[in-house]
Amino acid sequence: MVNLVMATPERTVIERAERATEPISTSTSESAVPLTFQVKNLSVWYGEKRAIDDVTLDIASNAVTAIIGPSGCGKSTFLRCLNRMHELVPKTRVEGTVLLQGEDLYSSTVDPAIVRRRVGMVFQKSNPFPTMSIGENVIIGLRLNGVRNQKFLNERLEKSLRMAALWDEVKDDQQRLCIARALAVEPEVLLMDEPCSALDPIATAKIEELIHELKAEYTIVTVTHNMQQAGRVSDYTAFFYLGRLIEFGPTTKIFTNPSQRQTEDYITGRFG
Amino acid sequence: MIAHRHILGTFDEALGSLRNNVLMMAGLAERSLERAMKGLTERDDDICANAIADDEEIDQLEIQIDKDGVDILLRFQPVASDLRRVVSAMKLSSNLERIADQATNIARRARKLNQHPPLPEVELILPMNAQAMAMFKDSVDAYVREDVELGRAIVPRDAKLDDLNRVASRRLIERMAQDPEQLRGYLNLMFIGRHLERVGDHATNIAEDAVYAAAAEDIRHQGVAAST
Ligand SMILES: Nc1ncnc2c1ncn2[C@@H]1O[C@H](COP(=O)(O)OP(=O)(O)O)[C@@H](O)[C@H]1O
Ligand SMILES: [Mg+2]
Repeated sequence: MVNLVMATPERTVIERAERATEPISTSTSESAVPLTFQVKNLSVWYGEKRAIDDVTLDIASNAVTAIIGPSGCGKSTFLRCLNRMHELVPKTRVEGTVLLQGEDLYSSTVDPAIVRRRVGMVFQKSNPFPTMSIGENVIIGLRLNGVRNQKFLNERLEKSLRMAALWDEVKDDQQRLCIARALAVEPEVLLMDEPCSALDPIATAKIEELIHELKAEYTIVTVTHNMQQAGRVSDYTAFFYLGRLIEFGPTTKIFTNPSQRQTEDYITGRFG
Repeated sequence: MIAHRHILGTFDEALGSLRNNVLMMAGLAERSLERAMKGLTERDDDICANAIADDEEIDQLEIQIDKDGVDILLRFQPVASDLRRVVSAMKLSSNLERIADQATNIARRARKLNQHPPLPEVELILPMNAQAMAMFKDSVDAYVREDVELGRAIVPRDAKLDDLNRVASRRLIERMAQDPEQLRGYLNLMFIGRHLERVGDHATNIAEDAVYAAAAEDIRHQGVAAST
């Protein structure tokens, strides 16, 4: 596993007991689930506007966590903070901590390029580079990361295409190609921002199946507008509203018996 | 907690109509059971026939509720309290249908009893009827009012009904030995007791579904779980 910095920093251990006073549950369960991210008191501003308001949340390893909530509630912003992509947007400011495998993601010694390699992102609009072959599309991520060895590139290409179950198929399935591209740099985590929003039902089903298979190897955090999809693919669900985390818990709990009225109204499609 | 309206008005309508059909079915099942018992105590075959006739409409409603429930699941893909409401409506309808079947069974046996001289042992059945009927009415009330406490309180009441049934059966078996002439009459009374005992079981199921619908809490088989 690639470390964030050359010298391995001391792993931070967060006392789980600290969380006991939280007003809502932000941890994945009572028992010790391995965690990939521990987000603590995260707030994000775009200039004067606060887009994320004091969010504390654990993301379990090798599981799918879905982020749901109305447009503009901060889902994409939250996701971008998990691999420091928010820094690419001018005038953003972040407070709070994000630990990746116990390491502080925002520490000044951490290289954001390495973070983005460990934590890959698949976007809403599939955007394969149109003039390239499938293979070029997949390894472009590696090339952009400075890898030049052709044999290594070919091996990676095949491996990630197999992972995305594309090897024997043709290129019409662009979103899976994008996932393959994200996998080529061998990340530990995959972030997906509405990965199916532009897809037909068959392509959507294929992505969902892929997500299901990928969670054996990766930790996945996905933003979705589709409640049924969140119910189908995720193990945990976080409901955001106006930049705040309203409720977090196992997906079956959230979708059968949410504890917050706002969650219930949102997922059942009621006027709040 | 009063639920907000859905953004989709058709969803509210569909859920409302499902619920109305369940309530209609509950009303008919209750009437059928009352008629069957009245047919027994007043030795009136016409009332028995009415009780049996109710069953047809109840069966139709069960089919309708199943169809509407599946339709709602398909069209609206409900979650959270909406999902629980649809699931519990469908489970309720199946229990109501079985209660109505018991009413029909009681009415048929009452008609047979009415052909022979009255048996004073019918008195053994009356406290069972009172207990089963009260459990049934309360279970439907718990569903209608989403009253978790009332629903929970019904479950232990089933034990008393079982006891009453045991006592009545024992007494009726004794009478069979003493008075073999009336053996079939005693047997019919014994079966009526058993039908009422089944009504109590279905009322318990309804109460459990009511608690699930209101509080997402599964209170089934808790006695069993606690004793192991
Ligand atoms: N680059 C940006 N500059 C300024 N405000 C932004 C920017 N991106 C998002 N926002 C604002 O931050 C809030 C959260 O946005 P976003 O994270 O995109 O929400 P979501 O993904 O849930 O729709 C919104 O009010 C949005 O208008
Ligand atoms: Mg977004």
